[in-house]
Formats: sequence, structure tokens, C-alpha cells
Amino acid sequence: MSAAVELAGVSVDFGKFRAVDNVNVTVQPGEFFSFLGPSGCGKTTILRMISGFNDPTEGVVRIGGQDMRGIRPNKRPTALIFQNLALFPLMPVWENISFGLEVRGVDKTKRRAKAEELLNLVDLHDVADRRISQLSGGQKQRVAIARALAVEPKVMLLDEPLSALDLKLRQHMRAELRAIQKRTNVTFIYITHDQGEALAMSDRVAVMSQGRLQQVAPPQEIYNAPANGFVASFVGEINAFQGELSAVSGGIGEFKTANGLFRAKVGPGVSPGIAAKLYVRPEHTILAAAARPGANNIPVDVADVAFEGNFINISAKTSDGRSLTVEMRNDGTTALPPAGSKMQFTFDPAKALILADTTLPKPGNWP
Amino acid sequence: MSSQKLSAWLLWIYLLLFLFIMLSPLFVMGGAALNDSRFPSVYPWKGFTTQWFVDLWNDPRMWIAGRNTLLVAFGVVALALPIGTAGAILINSLSGATRAIVYGFMVAPILTPGAVIGISTLLFWRTFSIPAGLHLSALGQTSFIAAYVMLLVLARLQSFDAGLEEAALDLGASHGQVLRRILLPHLYPALGAGAIIGFFQSVENFNVTLFTRGGSDTLTVYVGSMVRTGAPPTINALALILILITVTATIIYEVLRRRALAREMAADALLK
Ligand SMILES: Nc1ncnc2c1ncn2[C@@H]1O[C@H](COP(=O)(O)OP(=O)(O)O)[C@@H](O)[C@H]1O
Ligand SMILES: [Mg+2]
Repeated sequence: MSAAVELAGVSVDFGKFRAVDNVNVTVQPGEFFSFLGPSGCGKTTILRMISGFNDPTEGVVRIGGQDMRGIRPNKRPTALIFQNLALFPLMPVWENISFGLEVRGVDKTKRRAKAEELLNLVDLHDVADRRISQLSGGQKQRVAIARALAVEPKVMLLDEPLSALDLKLRQHMRAELRAIQKRTNVTFIYITHDQGEALAMSDRVAVMSQGRLQQVAPPQEIYNAPANGFVASFVGEINAFQGELSAVSGGIGEFKTANGLFRAKVGPGVSPGIAAKLYVRPEHTILAAAARPGANNIPVDVADVAFEGNFINISAKTSDGRSLTVEMRNDGTTALPPAGSKMQFTFDPAKALILADTTLPKPGNWP
Repeated sequence: MSSQKLSAWLLWIYLLLFLFIMLSPLFVMGGAALNDSRFPSVYPWKGFTTQWFVDLWNDPRMWIAGRNTLLVAFGVVALALPIGTAGAILINSLSGATRAIVYGFMVAPILTPGAVIGISTLLFWRTFSIPAGLHLSALGQTSFIAAYVMLLVLARLQSFDAGLEEAALDLGASHGQVLRRILLPHLYPALGAGAIIGFFQSVENFNVTLFTRGGSDTLTVYVGSMVRTGAPPTINALALILILITVTATIIYEVLRRRALAREMAADALLK
């Protein structure tokens, strides 16, 4: 079976500015695939290219194995859900949903029936004759999804569809979208700058930065085995240490930092002499009263303790003033270290990663 | 007297003065149409009469001129709407110097004196051996009335979300379908206003029509020729009728608009 969508070496230039840089991705039929990256990294540009509103400067887009060059947006088997939804304000809900059928010459009774059927599918009732302005944010969202599904696309393209909703509704719609995707078995290509969203919903995630792919992998792999420093620090919380890799043996490297010599797993493509950093997630660190043998230890002062219920977030300061984060699970008896107390920030070498330092300068509007 | 009171007074005086200057000619005109005097005046009042309306009704020239006026006005609206709309869509899609030049060409007829438009229309079509007549009046008037339509539509286009066009294309619509189902419905208010303004601009037009009409009369030309031959009060009668039609139409339009607005607000309130 041919891939649902294939981007083969595509780049997009706007004048001298390269918004998408040599992207190679293959999305499988029925897959829920996400592009994750900060604002301005080129996600929307990729979606617009798949739907035909932008042409790649280089490379080829294939949908269902077919080269899309010269095929206009209205002839592509894709449906795009726009960042601002772009619902038609002068049509009632049901005409919005059946617009794609209307332009294909389907008669009115059939269109109306299809609209009702799709409204049921997205769990919206008694709104078919309302105007768009009379809907809530979540309802508009569902109408946009129904409108896109009506044309029975091979590929649904979703551009940050949940970003305008409040937190609670967003959580709910995540599950809903995922369920709709499973029910319809349409290939979803989903764009977001929200890592939680990407991890929770996707079969695979492509992490992007400045127009380039950083890693394409299932969510656990993205989180547990980030390919480089950018992915490690963009996805989830992480403590990073600057330093230099000296010796490597058995996949474990010695890493010299201002806070001491640490041992950690060496990530892909990292060897002595390459700019690298050591990364360790807060939930993989322990705040101990004394240094633990065999672990990496850093003496710290507890600065702030935030009790969050199911876990405890502790911020600690090293002697050179760096701030580190520890996350402890609350098992019901966990004692909170008092602020100001002197402790050891410790982590096991197997839980830490030395990764190529490709952390790019953060754009102003990071989430 | 406090300064607040003073400014309230001044405002009232201003308002009354304004209304007086605006409306008193209309009252004089209306009064003269009902005065039993051979000259169009209210003073001295010689008694109430409907004579001038009867004279007007019995004047076949007036009926022909009235029919011609309507013919030209409908023709102008039918031409100016598509031309003005197409111009606005074109200008909206341009930028920079090209936009400025096309825009300049489009609005120039508004700033050109009517006599110039009239004469140049006549000369232009003469090169194709097209004689003067009402058809030329319609074409001449269209050249500047289309510009009004263009300005109205262009203003309305500013509030159009181009994303809707892309959304429609993405759902498989052709460009024609996008125009018909998405863009034009958004422009309807401007097209309605353009049709009304264009219609009245055409009805009241004198200069362009005078040069292009050939041997035919329109109402303005008819009135103009009557004034030259001594201005009988039938003109006042005609004017009073036109004023009453305009006022009635305006009131009906406003009432309908308010009803529609109230219905919408009620529907919204019901759902909240
Ligand atoms: N039509 C355009 N002309 C010029 N620059 C553009 C255009 N569209 C997008 N860009 C630029 O390309 C970059 C990527 O944009 P976009 O794909 O919208 O990012 P994202 O969706 O990831 O936030 C941004 O720096 C943006 O300013
Ligand atoms: Mg975007």
C-alpha cells in the first residue's frame, strides 16, 4: 500500500527566507501524525503545501503515491482545518458542513441528510439550522471537523485546531479528535506547538525547529530518547548541563561540567569534541540527604517546594547559582524537604543523556 | 447659566437652524405646488388647488420623460454593478503602484465634470458611428456611477476574510463557485447600497444626459426645458411627488431594517 502522504526532500522559500528546509517524511494510511514545534518553525507552511496553497521550492509532495505537482487545492484529496476554522459566517451550520457536497452537485435532500449524519458523528445536536455566530468555540470546532469530513478526504490536515479553546475543553477535544480519527480511519496530519497534545494524540510525532525536522518517532521515543538537545528541551521539562565529553566506554560517557564530573548515556552521533550537553528529566532525579554511591551527585540548597497533589515540584540552587528541578511522586507518605535545607541532587547515569547541543535560539513566542 | 446649559442651548439653536435651512426650500416648493397662482410661489397665497398635479398628469411629455429616466437608471445599475464590483475585486488583489494607477483610472470619472464626460462619451462613440440617444446617456453615466459602486465594494472587501476563499477551494469549489457562494454574499450589502445610490445618481443626472440624449427627454432634461420657458408650478408638483416617494421609501427601508435587526437580536438572546 502506498504512503498516505510523502514529503520527499521538500523545501519552501519565501524570498530569501527558507521556511521549510529539506523535509523528508512518510505518513502511513490511517496514521495520526503530528508536526510539533515552536511558533514560526514552518508547520503551517508544510500543511499549506500538502493542501496545495503553497508550492515547494524544491522536492515533491505525493499523496496516495501520486505526484501533486500542478494539482490545485480544489482537486486534492485533502481537507484542511484552518487555524481560525474559516467557517462560512453567512451559511447555517448544515450548509457549512455540506458545502463540499454542494460544489460537487449533490442534491439538497442528500446534503441535508449527510450534514445531520456528520453532526451526530461529531456529537453535535440540534444546531443544524443555527448561524455560525450562535455557536460556542467548541461547537465551531466540531462543525469545522464535520465540514472537512463531509468531502471524505484521504487526508485530514489540522492546523492547531484546539489552540483557541480553554484548557478543559481542549483536554476533552483531544480524546474526541482521536476517537473520530479511529472511527473514520482517515489519515490525520496534525499541527501543534503544544507538546502534551502531540504526545497524547499521535501515533508518531515529527519535532521541527526552524524549518528542519529534528526527530520523527512515536511519542514515547520522542520523550524517552530524544535525538538531540532541541527535542530534549522542547518536549517536557529537563535539566541541562553545559560541559565537555571526555572518555566513552560501554555507551556511558564521562562529562565534565562546572558542577563536577558526571557519567551518562551517550546519545546518537555524539563523540568527544562535539558540542554537547547533559540532560536529565526532573522525574529521574532524586533529592537525597547524602550523596549516593554510583550516582551523579550535586550539592544544592532547596529554594522552593511546590506541592501539586500527585507530585511535588522542587526547585534547588547549586553553589554557582544554577537552578535545577526535581519532581517527586507523592505516594502519600513522601516527606517534603524544607526550603533552605542543604541536600544532594542525584541521578543515575542510565537515566541521563548526553546529546548534541543543537538547542537553537528560542524565538520570542515560545509556548 | 452654567456652561453646560449654554452648550446645550447652542446645540439646539444649531440643530433648528440646520433643519430650517435644509427643509424650508422643500416646504416652499411643496406649498407652491398647491397654491392657486400662475407663478411658483407660496406668497401671496391665492387658495388651495390640485390644478398643477392635473396638468402634470395630462402632460404626455412628462410620462415619456419619466419612462426614459427609469430606463436609463435601470440600464446604468445593470452595467455599473458588475463593472464596479469587478474593478473593486481587481484593485483589492493588486498592491503598490499598479494598485494606485488602476484605482486612479477607476475614480477619475467621479472627479471629471459631467459636461466633459457627456461630450467625450458622444465623441468616443461617434468614432464607431453610434449616434446619440438614451443608450449613450446610460453608458456615460455608468462611467462615473460604476466608480461609486467600486468604492462601496472596495470598502466592503476590507472586511472579507480571504481565508474563507481558501477554505472553499480546499473543499473542492471552483473559482466561480467561490465567487457565487462565498464572495458575492459577503458583498450583497455593498451591492444593494451601490444599486440604490447608482439609481438615484442616474435619476438626478443632468449634465451627462444633456449631451448624450440625442432627441430624447429624461425628467431632468424635461424640467430644465420647462424652467427655460417660464417655470410653471407643475414643476413644483413633480418635485413634491418625488420628495414624497423618496421619504416614503426611506421610512419603509428603515422600518424593515430595524425589524430584521430586532429579529436577529431576539434569536441570539434566545440561545444565550
Ligand atoms: N507568505 C509568507 N511570506 C513570507 N514569509 C512567510 C509566509 N508564510 C510564512 N512565512 C514565514 O515562514 C515561517 C514559518 O511560518 P509558519 O509555517 O506559519 O509557522 P508555524 O505554523 O510553525 O507557526 C515564519 O517565519 C513566517 O513568518
Ligand atoms: Mg501556524
